[in-house]
Amino acid sequence: MLESLQQLATGFGVALSPQNLFYCLAGATVGTLVGVLPGLGPIAGIALLIPVTFGLNPTSAIIMLAGIYYGAMYGGSTTSILLNVPGETASVITCIDGYKMAQKGKAGKALAICAIGSFIAGTLGIFGLVFLAPPLADAALAFGPAEYFSLMVFGFIVLSNVTGGSFLKSLMMAVVGLIIGTIGLDPVTGEGRFAFDSPSLLGGIEFVAVAIGLFGIGEVLVNAGQPAELLEQKVVMPRLLELYPSLQDLKESIFAILRGAGLGFGVGLVPGPAPVIATYASYMMEKKVSRHPEEFGQGAIKGVAGPEAANNAACQSAFIPLFAIGIPFAPPTAILLGALLIHGVTPGPLMIREHPELFWGVIASMYIGNFILLLLNLPFVPLFANILRIPKKILLPFVTLLCLTGMYSVNNSMFDVWTMILFGAVGFLLRKWAYEGAPLLLALVLGPKLEVAFRQSLMISHGSFDIFINRPISLAFLGAIFLCLLIPLVRVVYGRLRSWAATG
Amino acid sequence: MEALKQRRTHMKLRDVLGAVVFFLFGAVTTILSVQMPIGTLRAAGSGLFPLCLGILLMALSALFIAKVFWAERGQERKNIRTVEERGSSWPVVAFVTVMALTTLLLKPVGYPLASFLLMVGLLTTLGLRRWPLSLALSLLAAVVSYLLFVYLLKIPLPKGLPGI
Repeated sequence: MLESLQQLATGFGVALSPQNLFYCLAGATVGTLVGVLPGLGPIAGIALLIPVTFGLNPTSAIIMLAGIYYGAMYGGSTTSILLNVPGETASVITCIDGYKMAQKGKAGKALAICAIGSFIAGTLGIFGLVFLAPPLADAALAFGPAEYFSLMVFGFIVLSNVTGGSFLKSLMMAVVGLIIGTIGLDPVTGEGRFAFDSPSLLGGIEFVAVAIGLFGIGEVLVNAGQPAELLEQKVVMPRLLELYPSLQDLKESIFAILRGAGLGFGVGLVPGPAPVIATYASYMMEKKVSRHPEEFGQGAIKGVAGPEAANNAACQSAFIPLFAIGIPFAPPTAILLGALLIHGVTPGPLMIREHPELFWGVIASMYIGNFILLLLNLPFVPLFANILRIPKKILLPFVTLLCLTGMYSVNNSMFDVWTMILFGAVGFLLRKWAYEGAPLLLALVLGPKLEVAFRQSLMISHGSFDIFINRPISLAFLGAIFLCLLIPLVRVVYGRLRSWAATG
Repeated sequence: MEALKQRRTHMKLRDVLGAVVFFLFGAVTTILSVQMPIGTLRAAGSGLFPLCLGILLMALSALFIAKVFWAERGQERKNIRTVEERGSSWPVVAFVTVMALTTLLLKPVGYPLASFLLMVGLLTTLGLRRWPLSLALSLLAAVVSYLLFVYLLKIPLPKGLPGI
């Protein structure tokens, strides 16, 4: 524990260097801006700005990208409260009571409690990261290919279960992502697959192109297809009335913040879109423990404080599986994994030992980033929200130009731009058919790792599948997968039996 | 009531159409994988993993189609955002066409002109018919993005014939 604190102090030394402080500030600011823009969430924000980090050293690059991640989470809440427009999915819950508070002239209070709650949760989250990540990394050394394979399959199953849509559809998307991930060179034998003699395809499909296409361009196309009157619409920003919450407000919110932070941190460790689940769970919990549950939905300050704290804590703990095991459990961290690989850093158990300056520097920068966000979000909220005064018919072309230029600059490749446009159209169609893009993206990033783990396991076991059952950790994950598949089935059967019984 | 029935049929058709596309994708993957070395379980060839995935995708799609026909109505659309039903598809097609055309033009005419044309095209597609405003916004976007990417971020963008 003492060693971890010493390392953290070293990390603060790294994060507080003028250069890294600048990139932390830049990341948090840009992230907030991205979060304020409807449609452009942390995934598009990180994907779009990866090229900007190419000239930086890995530590500065990841500090900046992590800043964009939690900055975007903050920014999304701002428009949820002021305008009832969630900047990203995790902010949907904040709309419920946050916007009601704004309508009652308490926008300032809601924004301030949101920033304070996030800061407290972020601070607690840092301690969790410091004390949990190193032991988890040591435990991860016991992981062989069979364990990794089972864990990754477990991740897909959980993600498919919690994306909110159909489980089967999400699974299909994950399989499509895995298939797309096989395009290019075979990671074991080096043979070309699905390349059709094209050198560009031989290099594989650029995941940034898929991410910007599916999420950025896909969202733009969805908006472009809206009726003309919606495109004309500009969102008018209300005036900020009272900025600071009273002592009573703080007293009311502090336990909600602490509960939200604990819950969010735990949820962040589990595979899936952690911030979304954490905010929903926190809201439900606050409503249950409250003496006045009827106030929820009418502008209850706890309904903002709890979910926002949970959101921030979940964002931070999502870094633990990424850094300690090298497996991202959520799409934004999947993109961060890609960014780490681009910069020549392989996350996993050895990362803490091989790149301590990066690991501890990023952790320390998160704390500094949270403080910067607190300063940014309180006085500059009206400034950020002003972007929404721009009508969509003007905003959408600007976003498209940014996406196209950003995509070209990743590899100076026209092929990537075409891939992005193709996946933009695919993203639009998928939305039309009610498919979620997140499982595809996660599978695309994890696909090659999953295949290598699968083939290595079979090589070790001389072609026997027993290896996945004989190893205890792998067996535990397989058991969890079985339960995840069984529970929805049991629910359906139970529901049918009840309805049959009711109808006689 | 009739409208609701029509809507349900439309949703069912949409679900089936989507699943059929996925099924075909799985089938193509399977056919192409079989043409690669499959190897054995002990020493898997490059085609084994995609072959398994292709078959799995076909199975899941078939299962989904079966579920669409047998499942209770209206269960599918839970917390998922779908495309605005009232909108039309032609602006989307036009939007994608403008993107594709300007991407084709990027190398020959260079980034500054291509980005300007992209903005004019997209603004027109979305219904901004006030030409002075449209041209001014396009010029502003082209200049700002050029300065941002080329001068500030030092990213080389296609110069094209104008050589800028």
